[in-house]
Parts: sequence; C-alpha cells; structure tokens
Amino acid sequence: MKVDSLAATQLYGSVQSALRTNPMTAEAEGTGFADALETALAEMRRNLQAGETASVNAMAGKGDIQSLVEALTATDMALETAVTVRDRVVEAYQEILRMPV
Amino acid sequence: MFDLKKAMSIAASGMSAQSFRLRLVGENIANVDTSGFQRKTVNFRNVVDRVRDVTTVKPGEVQLDSSDPRVTLDPGHPLADERGMVTLSNVNPLIEIADAREAQRSYQTNLSVFDQARRMRSATLDLIRR
Repeated sequence: MKVDSLAATQLYGSVQSALRTNPMTAEAEGTGFADALETALAEMRRNLQAGETASVNAMAGKGDIQSLVEALTATDMALETAVTVRDRVVEAYQEILRMPV
Repeated sequence: MFDLKKAMSIAASGMSAQSFRLRLVGENIANVDTSGFQRKTVNFRNVVDRVRDVTTVKPGEVQLDSSDPRVTLDPGHPLADERGMVTLSNVNPLIEIADAREAQRSYQTNLSVFDQARRMRSATLDLIRR
C-alpha cells in the first residue's frame, strides 16, 4: 500500500513534468514556424513589389521585357508557394478538427 | 534566394545581353550604305553580383571595327572624290546576318534555361499539392 502510493506520486510527478515541458516545446516550435512564415511572407512581399514596379515600368515603355518576365515569374512562384503551403496548413487543421475525440 | 531563382535571374541577364547584341546588328545593317560608318561590336563580360550571389553577363563597351571601308566607283555620287570613288561603310551584311542568327540561338538557349528552372520548381511544388 505504501509502495503503491509512492509509485503513484512518482508517476504523477513525471506526468506533471511531461505536461509542463510539452507546451513549452510546442511553443518553441510554434515561434519557429511563425518566424519561417514571416520570412517567407516578407520575401513574397518583396517579390510582389518588384513585379509591380517591373509591370509599371514595362507599361510606361521603360525597362526591358526580360526583367519584367523575371519579376513576374518570381511573383507567380512566390504566390504559388504561399498558396500551396496555406492549403496544406488548412488541410492539416481540418484533419485535426475531424478527429473523433 | 534559392538556386533555381538565381538560374532564372542569370538566364534573364543572358537574354538582355543578346538583345543588346541584336540591337547593334540592327544598327550595323541599317547603316550598311552610310558613308564612313564603322561597324559596331561588343564584348560580353561577366558581372559578379555579391548581394544576390550570382554571376551574370553584361554587354561591355561598344567598340568600333577599324577595318577598311568598302570603296566603290560611282562618279555621279554626291560624296565621290576627284577620282569618282565613294567610301561606304565597313559593314558586311553576311557577317551581320550570321551574328543576328547567333544572337537568336543564344537567346533561345537562355530562354530554355529560364523555362527549365521554372518547370523544375513547379514540379517540385506539385509534390505537396493535391
């Protein structure tokens, strides 16, 4: 009886410590993902701005067509990447929502 | 900036350089009968872009071909000298056409590299798409 209670407290302690560490690691990973997302979005924003500037220049007759195509392709690629990643994230979220509890 | 995007940027610089070359060919051909016109040539040089970490190509200084001009006998020409000789340009249309064709081929090759990089990236992204 005495041994059992000791084991129970030990188990409780380990569970508590596990519960305590889990949210912290999850939070650390969360910030990592958020950082990555932020960097990707900043890069995408830069690409979009470059594409916009190149479009305006090309329509005004300034700038060459190669830089226009380059900038627009970069914009297109950045948007495609963002949309694909977003789709995957939303899909994973919905997958978790559908999980029977 | 990842490598495929760099490849696209480099290919675009190659296309720009070949466009410039074709422009010079156009100037030369347009001035084939201009008296005293000297054929224009250009050498390409590589440019290291340390910010983007790419080596692109840029047309260098435009140089004038100093070979002898064509001289024809045309006494009725307003620019004829006392012996009736007229000094024309030193442009050879055949060489210019060959140069134009080479510029076109080079441009197409760069375009292929550009498209290849785009498709490789798109195909990779297709892996995580459903």
